[in-house]
Amino acid sequence: MLARVLLLVATCLIFHAAFSTYEHLSYLKALERPEGPIPKSILIETVVALVLGIVGASLNAPPLKEITWSSEMRKRTIDEMDSRLGFANYVTRGRNIFTSRQAIPKQPSPREDH
Amino acid sequence: MSLSDSLQKLASYRVNNSRASQDVFKKGEALLKAGKAPRDEEGWAFLEQLALAAIDLDRLEVAEICLQKLADKFPGSPRVDVLTGIRMEATQGITPVLEYYNELLLQDPTNAAAWKRRISVLRRARSVDKATEELIEYLDTFYTDPEGWLELADIYVSNRQYTSALQALSHALVLNPQNPFTFVQFAETAYSASDLPLALKMFLLAIDMIERDLDSPESTPPTGLAFRTWWGIKLSTRHLLEGGPSSPSNTSAPKNLKALDVLATERILSAYKGKELEYQRRLVEGWVVRK
Repeated sequence: MLARVLLLVATCLIFHAAFSTYEHLSYLKALERPEGPIPKSILIETVVALVLGIVGASLNAPPLKEITWSSEMRKRTIDEMDSRLGFANYVTRGRNIFTSRQAIPKQPSPREDH
Repeated sequence: MSLSDSLQKLASYRVNNSRASQDVFKKGEALLKAGKAPRDEEGWAFLEQLALAAIDLDRLEVAEICLQKLADKFPGSPRVDVLTGIRMEATQGITPVLEYYNELLLQDPTNAAAWKRRISVLRRARSVDKATEELIEYLDTFYTDPEGWLELADIYVSNRQYTSALQALSHALVLNPQNPFTFVQFAETAYSASDLPLALKMFLLAIDMIERDLDSPESTPPTGLAFRTWWGIKLSTRHLLEGGPSSPSNTSAPKNLKALDVLATERILSAYKGKELEYQRRLVEGWVVRK
């Protein structure tokens, strides 16, 4: 919350400083004076906006994720790591429960095939 | 669940090799019906994943749709051929399916996936000795397939041939030396084979791998695989302290067994925190002090 507010304030300050610089330069142009240095207040405003913006952006960052191999391994499960999908059996008893067919044709019992 | 969330979840299932057929089918079918299936390269992997989930749940009409799309796009691809074979496994008997895979292997002897499917079908048909022979031949040809070694270990363990299982698992360990899951499987198989010092050694290696980067172990109780490994350490040290059988592999037990026992007990009990686990905690504490 505070981070968003800080970012918003920093953005407004930056835009305000930019607009002030533009106004100042057009004021000098209207008076036909040569372009002098930017007024100190605008410089200070810009630097303050930078600092507030950095603080706000840092606080607004999402929480850090772990990167070590151990932390990754801690999250995995045995079912994932031992799934052996190349050898997986897709003809299980689950088909009797989840099927959309009216009746599953009875497959010949495995022992009859010997 | 939004579209992108569904797609992300499905992609994470593909990456993690999970087999969550119900969830995949629910999300995938919804995406397919809404016409929002991804169109790019990811789309083909999505179709394959959905086809496998559909066959797993015997929803063959959806599987047919996916298979048709894949066959149209990739005619003559070995991957699609194997998928067609899996679809055949769902409706036809053992012999036609085996003939189909033999056909595929005659045409292309390097089609490892078809060979693996044949071994899987042989195992399902209860000709386990034939399946084991084929699997050993397969592993002689394609050594660097950790999946195959794990499957061989599984076959041996289901027949209680623990020494052969340990040999197969040691090959898997050589191929995946950084994977703590293989170490824990090796340790648990050694424990089943009554080789307690070997089991303890492997459990300790595994726990080192898993909890190596914890900077404050007191505040992070073990979960998942770490918890299972600590239980393995506790059981092994307990039996070794009681004077277990001698090790068939001549492994010597570590010296500080008592200290390990105390550490393992502490780690295990720290996982049972909070009011909901109060009862389990008392059960475990009771078991710990019992002789």
